[in-house]
Amino acid sequence: MNRRRFLLQTLGTAALISTTQAAQSDRRPLVTRSGEAPTLVDTNVHLFSWPFRRLKYERTADLVAKLQRHRVGEAWAGSFEALLAKDVNGANARLAEECRKHPGFLVPIGSVNPAWPDWEEDLRRCHEVHRMRGIRLYPRYQAFPLNDPAFARLLHLAAERGLLVQIALELEDPRVHHPVLQLPLSDFAAFAAVVKSVPQVHVQLLDCTINLQLPVAQPLFNLPNVTFDISNFESVGILDRLLNEAGGARRAPLAIERLLFGSHAPYFPVEAALLRLFESQLTREQLGPIMAGNARRLLPSA
Amino acid sequence: MNATDFAFDPALYGLPTRAQLRDLRIWDLHYHGFNNATDLAPHERMMIYADRFGIERVVALDVGGSRNDPLASSPFEAVQRQVLDEQSDRVSGMIRIEPTNPEGSCRKMEEWIRRGPCVGIKYAGYNEAGITCSHPNNDPIIRLARELGAIVYIHTWMKVGGQPRLPGGGNLAGESTPADVVELAARFPDVPLICGHSGGDGELGARAVRKRKNVYFEFSGSYPHSGAVDHAGRELGAERIVWGGHGPTRSYATELSKVLDADLTDAQRRLIFGGNARRLAEKIFARKGYPMSPKR
Repeated sequence: MNRRRFLLQTLGTAALISTTQAAQSDRRPLVTRSGEAPTLVDTNVHLFSWPFRRLKYERTADLVAKLQRHRVGEAWAGSFEALLAKDVNGANARLAEECRKHPGFLVPIGSVNPAWPDWEEDLRRCHEVHRMRGIRLYPRYQAFPLNDPAFARLLHLAAERGLLVQIALELEDPRVHHPVLQLPLSDFAAFAAVVKSVPQVHVQLLDCTINLQLPVAQPLFNLPNVTFDISNFESVGILDRLLNEAGGARRAPLAIERLLFGSHAPYFPVEAALLRLFESQLTREQLGPIMAGNARRLLPSA
Repeated sequence: MNATDFAFDPALYGLPTRAQLRDLRIWDLHYHGFNNATDLAPHERMMIYADRFGIERVVALDVGGSRNDPLASSPFEAVQRQVLDEQSDRVSGMIRIEPTNPEGSCRKMEEWIRRGPCVGIKYAGYNEAGITCSHPNNDPIIRLARELGAIVYIHTWMKVGGQPRLPGGGNLAGESTPADVVELAARFPDVPLICGHSGGDGELGARAVRKRKNVYFEFSGSYPHSGAVDHAGRELGAERIVWGGHGPTRSYATELSKVLDADLTDAQRRLIFGGNARRLAEKIFARKGYPMSPKR
């Protein structure tokens, strides 16, 4: 099957199909021209293999093509290898090398596991050797407690180097974990206390689930140095509610500066986060920062 | 800007436009706009979002009774009946039954389906007695559903847990698994049964139900696993997959993405989004005089 035929068979190619019968029946004018629509910065993708299931877009070239079909202009890429790797630097090196094949598009986000000996050297190499501008941590998989002093020290050192710290809260629904996997729960209260103690570090939470609606997570919403990706914020019209209403753990609407586009591809379909932007009744002034502006502020283009 | 307008053209982002979504004729077989509601505000709010994505029909699963006591009557029922009557071109209703009480369940089916506005039954995910859908208690319920032509939706999960730790070992009491649906389906091979939520784990769920052709598969309520609908399509065929939105707790974005992510033909996508549901509903809609197509 050639590329065009494949694209035409997938509805994700709606951009290529300009005059379907249905489109003709909708007489309302389009509200934008392509030049005005921002390209997206996807702050949450992963490369390589998920340990428990073959992912449809796990080949980097396939993932990049998929993201580009959806107007993603830059993607911050972690490595699934980092979840379980003991040679974290090896995983980071392979990630950096893979991202170099897609310059200007894939931005490597390495990892550091503060439970492993001499993790400080991994952090140094992320910054100085691999030229990474951020790191991504997986506390539930990397098995370090969020109240561990090593975690606080890591945040301090990352801040000194000007590195963004992404924290992936929940990559997979725990109800469908492989039975051998028994991950510790995230201690939001401890986490908030540590992050509050390092106000100079920029922390982005990824894969935020319904658990963030719990009262114990409230302090995270009050910390101005914490931002959130939208990949796993669930419920109908969730962005409308986050931005316009108090509720759950939040005592006030969330400032637009706190939300960034992230897809959690290739584990999630890219379409899930994208459609979330369109489901809520957001204005262009709200969408622009979420789609790209806030990401540019956190990691200015190289 | 109207409530159905988008600030940017979705086509520029590789997404279907609202017109294209409408053209797909999407039926949401898992609508919770009435869940635990005491007024119409949640339903009205939900329909704004259903409209934004051009969803043609929603099938509410929480008609009559309450979540905790499905067979009791609730003060909200009169309003529900009014909605189902006045919005019959957009909103359908299913009632929750209670397999611990088959006689009461059948009475409710007589009241709400044979003599009332509803078109199907929903098995919930919990009951104190631990009676799943495979228990013989369910036989009179399914016999009556067959007679009425009612749609049968069964909540299923395989939550990992228990000792030894296995999929399904973490289920609640009375929470059915896809294997329970298969057992019931074997006793009623002429009754289509919807295995809701794909058992929570589409890979295992599809394996469980693939040999039983009268079992349909629905994906709502689980995380959006890229490739899951492709997998189910390969194992079951697109003609056995139906679509649900699971709002308001799941976003339409999540549920639509599961199908839009899949490599399907246009015909297959139409079957999943609504064609199969209309086939399941055809008999009872005809009996009740409900329109299969929307007013345009």
